[in-house]
Amino acid sequence: MSTPGAPPPSGPDASTAAPAGRGPLEPWPDTVNWQPISTDLIWVELIRLAIVVAIGLAVTAVGWALSGQWLFGLAVAVVVVLGVWRAIAIGRAVRAWGYAERENDLLVRHGLLVRRLSIVPYSRMQFVDVSAGPLERAFDLATVQLHTAAAASDARVPGLRPTEASRLRDRLTALGEDRAEGL
Amino acid sequence: MSDGPSTSPPTGPTPPGPVLPAGPAATGVPGTDAAPADPFGAPEPWPAPPGGGEGEPRQRLHPLSPVLHGAKSLVVVIAGLSWSTLSRVGFGWFAAMVAVLALGATVLSVISWYNTGYHVVGRELRVYEGLLWRRTRAIPLERLQAVEVVRPLLAQLTGLAELRLEVVGGGKTEAPLAYLGVADAALLRERLLALAGRVAQLPAPGDATAPVAPGATAPPAAAPGRPLHAVRNQTLLISQLLTPQAFLLPFGVAFVVVQFLTAESWSFVAVASTLTAMAGVLLQPIRRVLDDWNFRLARDGGTLRVHNGLLETRAQTVPLERVQTVRATWPLLWRMKGWLRLRLEVAGYSVAEADDRSRPDRLLPVGDLPTATMIVAEVLPGVRLDALPLSPPPRRTRWLHPLGRAAFGAGLFERVFATRSGRLTRQLVIVPYARIQSVRVVQGPIQRRLGLATVHADTAGGSGATAQDRDLAEAWSLAADLTERAHQARTQP
Repeated sequence: MSTPGAPPPSGPDASTAAPAGRGPLEPWPDTVNWQPISTDLIWVELIRLAIVVAIGLAVTAVGWALSGQWLFGLAVAVVVVLGVWRAIAIGRAVRAWGYAERENDLLVRHGLLVRRLSIVPYSRMQFVDVSAGPLERAFDLATVQLHTAAAASDARVPGLRPTEASRLRDRLTALGEDRAEGL
Repeated sequence: MSDGPSTSPPTGPTPPGPVLPAGPAATGVPGTDAAPADPFGAPEPWPAPPGGGEGEPRQRLHPLSPVLHGAKSLVVVIAGLSWSTLSRVGFGWFAAMVAVLALGATVLSVISWYNTGYHVVGRELRVYEGLLWRRTRAIPLERLQAVEVVRPLLAQLTGLAELRLEVVGGGKTEAPLAYLGVADAALLRERLLALAGRVAQLPAPGDATAPVAPGATAPPAAAPGRPLHAVRNQTLLISQLLTPQAFLLPFGVAFVVVQFLTAESWSFVAVASTLTAMAGVLLQPIRRVLDDWNFRLARDGGTLRVHNGLLETRAQTVPLERVQTVRATWPLLWRMKGWLRLRLEVAGYSVAEADDRSRPDRLLPVGDLPTATMIVAEVLPGVRLDALPLSPPPRRTRWLHPLGRAAFGAGLFERVFATRSGRLTRQLVIVPYARIQSVRVVQGPIQRRLGLATVHADTAGGSGATAQDRDLAEAWSLAADLTERAHQARTQP
């Protein structure tokens, strides 16, 4: 379904009802130049998932072994099924992430099941966070998050190379200063 | 447009080399594998003063701060262990547990202190945190609204201070620097404010919520400025009797009485707790009556003046340019009277709003449509509340909202974006384009099936306006329109 080869120009996938053949998160294809994030994030997400699944399995398996309740067996099966399903989806989910720097705003899209697109003007930026956990650092990745005065604004870009993250951060703060206004 | 490296030198210890050209085309190539710098530009051993391109070395917080954090956690530890643990394990063990936990907390504080630093780069303040989960926060100083030097008790005893940076509308203090020496804190504060320049001179947004005369028993002589509207107390009382809480009170009382009469043995506790619960339910209408008693609204130049309150008279000043959203609500039970309520969201910063009730949010506690229309026209010139043609979502959304489809609506107007929702309690949200912080388009799985999407216009404070379930193509054009109009409204006020 997805086109792993060329993530940026192709629609994520499965846009069953999208009119005009556009991907549901790809509006204005002429003016927006989507950047993909690093596919290394797939590994980070897979390891995270493995940890969660391992904990879930351990808890349910111990419960099963101790109590013999068949419900715990069911829980083990559910954990395995969910884990496998998520593992299959992770690749597409990572490819669904994308960001684009336009002249006046930053666009971030993500999500497979629930698709989200955020448009955040540079001039609304309050501050920028660059962060990375141990797993991300092991894969040489970082996350940039842009904060505005609105709590609901959602402009987080994971899976960036550190240089790219720094560049984006510097660019965002520079543009934010240029176009700074109050509320 | 292109980022001037002069205003913002490349990140601290990151070698200046890899700063890529600003063009989007040249960026984000996943092939930049051999990225030499780590995400934060923080080289492993901290002490090394960063190399070229650097304004100043990174500075640590005061060395005593881990001790203070440890002492703070001691209180938490003791509270967490509680008296029952003390009585169970005896004093010796208790002291040992406290000591171990406090020591652990202090060690963690020392580690976090060792890895926390800040410095000023160009016109930004950068704050570095964390050993495993690293974070660098870049705060452009233009955005600084206020810098406070706060001295909690422990800090006073040790001669330290905490520096709190207030960014616009953040709702909470971002990036507190705890702790610094008092002199350092004052110095840094001066420096940050000097760098922030113009912002420091502007009136602090806290003025939005200056309670002018709290506790003045007699209502102030007259609201200065041109009086707009005064709510009759009788109307206010009736409106609060027409709330579900007050409306259902007789049923509650009847229920208790029936319980009384039918139950063979009734305990005083049961009755008392029932009554307490009912009192709790009634608290909100009663509080509204007390708060909104003698509500008067006046216009004075570019500000609104609000006077209200029975026990505690409040006078608030709301600068009109800080109004983020206006929300009109038609509660179900008020419809027979044709009444509605108007509220507004004002962006401010957290300090002035420590008491949630003192936030200026009332525009009209109760009133009819002509009154509300007049007030909205004052707050948002050119907006006619009684004549806002909103278009409903497409017909196929009836699968999602069998009854409420017609209740939804959205419309773009000359200077505002308006959305409507709610079948029983109708709600209309008006957001001026100039106040939109960001625009989001969200599409859930069912919406994707139906070719729908929801458009959010986020504002500082409050939840912003939401255009529920628009046709996908319309959602895109709506988002594009909103972004474009917001941009224009910002650049040409």
